[in-house]
Amino acid sequence: MSEPTQAIHLPDFIVEWVDVGVFVVNRNMEVTLWNRFMSNHSGLDADAVVGRNLFDCFPDLPKAWLSKKVQGVFLLRNFAFTSWEQRPYLFRFPHNRPITGGVDHMYQNCTFMPVKGASGEVDSVCVTLFDATDVGISQTELKKAMARLAESSNRDGLTGIYNRRYLEQRLSAEFDRCRRYRDHFSFVLFDLDHFKRINDTYGHLAGDEVLCVVSRRIDELLRSVDVMARYGGEEFGVILPATAMQSARILAERIRLVIEREPVEYKGIPIPVTASIGIAEFEAAAPSHEHLIRCADVALYHAKASGRNRVACYAPELEAAAPPA
Amino acid sequence: MHLTEDQRDAMQEIANIAMGQAGSLLAELLGNFVNLSVPRIKVLALAQVGPAIRDMVGGDVEVTAVRQSFQGYLKGEALVIYGHNGCKELGDLLGYDGTVEHAEETELLLDVSNILVGACLGGIVDQIKNAIEVEGNTELGFSAPSLMAERVPADALIDPDKLSWTHALLLEVNFTLEGRNFISHLCMLMPEHSIEKMRSILDQFIESL
Repeated sequence: MSEPTQAIHLPDFIVEWVDVGVFVVNRNMEVTLWNRFMSNHSGLDADAVVGRNLFDCFPDLPKAWLSKKVQGVFLLRNFAFTSWEQRPYLFRFPHNRPITGGVDHMYQNCTFMPVKGASGEVDSVCVTLFDATDVGISQTELKKAMARLAESSNRDGLTGIYNRRYLEQRLSAEFDRCRRYRDHFSFVLFDLDHFKRINDTYGHLAGDEVLCVVSRRIDELLRSVDVMARYGGEEFGVILPATAMQSARILAERIRLVIEREPVEYKGIPIPVTASIGIAEFEAAAPSHEHLIRCADVALYHAKASGRNRVACYAPELEAAAPPA
Repeated sequence: MHLTEDQRDAMQEIANIAMGQAGSLLAELLGNFVNLSVPRIKVLALAQVGPAIRDMVGGDVEVTAVRQSFQGYLKGEALVIYGHNGCKELGDLLGYDGTVEHAEETELLLDVSNILVGACLGGIVDQIKNAIEVEGNTELGFSAPSLMAERVPADALIDPDKLSWTHALLLEVNFTLEGRNFISHLCMLMPEHSIEKMRSILDQFIESL
């Protein structure tokens, strides 16, 4: 097509120069067309590829999968597709964004088209390969940003642990899960004793430091499946999956001790802190997860009423002494 | 907007033959016995499509759906709807190996959907072409399939407010692979003028008999 004396055949020119990969294979997977885009990115010119088996030229291609894909097009005489979102690339090409990339290879969207010969039968398959790197990078960045946003909307700004919104969401999910799969879990609600006094005596910044230190200490006691959140001002909640009341009680006692054992130090001043803790266990008969929060709150009220710095487990008889819901 | 009884019968016949062909092609491709049900055909107003899909998949179950648009003398969108069991078992059949990761599972769903839509629509177009003269280009073009919804309640799949179609030709085909727990449903949504076109094709088809 490059002979100067010949008139340019426009379709050939377009196929050769269009900024899209175009190649054609026959039933034996021998390449019959290989355009400029494919040459430039693969480093193999049409001369080196045309007439040869595609897999001989590119041993890295996923042979079993690609053969089946192409066979399917021959058989069904139907278009087939691949998207970078599921299969980032067909050919391991470098992309055009070496500096700003952040991805290793050119993302590709491919279309496989049946090519019918004069007889009307499909005699080859034409593959077009679109560079989707730009879309891929922005989509990947968007996803990361969305994930960060979702994460930060679940976090408490001061302590960095989860917030109440997230806790309730997880509590509701755990409640549904346990009901469906007949599993169990416990919910622990605790409150720092006389926190207002700490704020009044040592200042709000000291109070903030107490909240941060306490959440860090407790976080170290928890398993990765447990979910701790700041429920309110000085109130915290912990979801303990697959944990019965008795085990939850042991953990709650450790939480109480780790808070009491050592005062929180703020600007060289030791601030003694204690906590009152209420525990409720999942019950399949309970109407909702809110009910479980209410039970933990009743137990917490009892712990406070009994003199603070202690753990109380929910029992129906505690209801009588509790304030109305 | 409804099909007459004759038109429905004609559509049914075209679809039966098309699905038979699609079934044997798929069986050859997958090397496995493929069971395609006799298609059930309905023309529905969009508001009825949601409940119809819900009935199709058997009530309050979560579904995953793939959409793919087709263009040509018939235009519209095909939906392939899968029950919550998905199609993990299909992995090895289409040249995947090992455990099926999420991206691979999605790719598989897209692949199978593309094959189903292409085979079924291709079969219908072939039947029409064999029976009557259609003016112009009779080949349909397809866009790449994409995941429309993943594990959503069946009746939440179609939001009439978000679709511009007013009516849909619902072509319900159940697709099972022998020995494998895999059922999918195919639904073609076509805009009014395409259904109109379809009706005139069906009239010609009836005359040609």
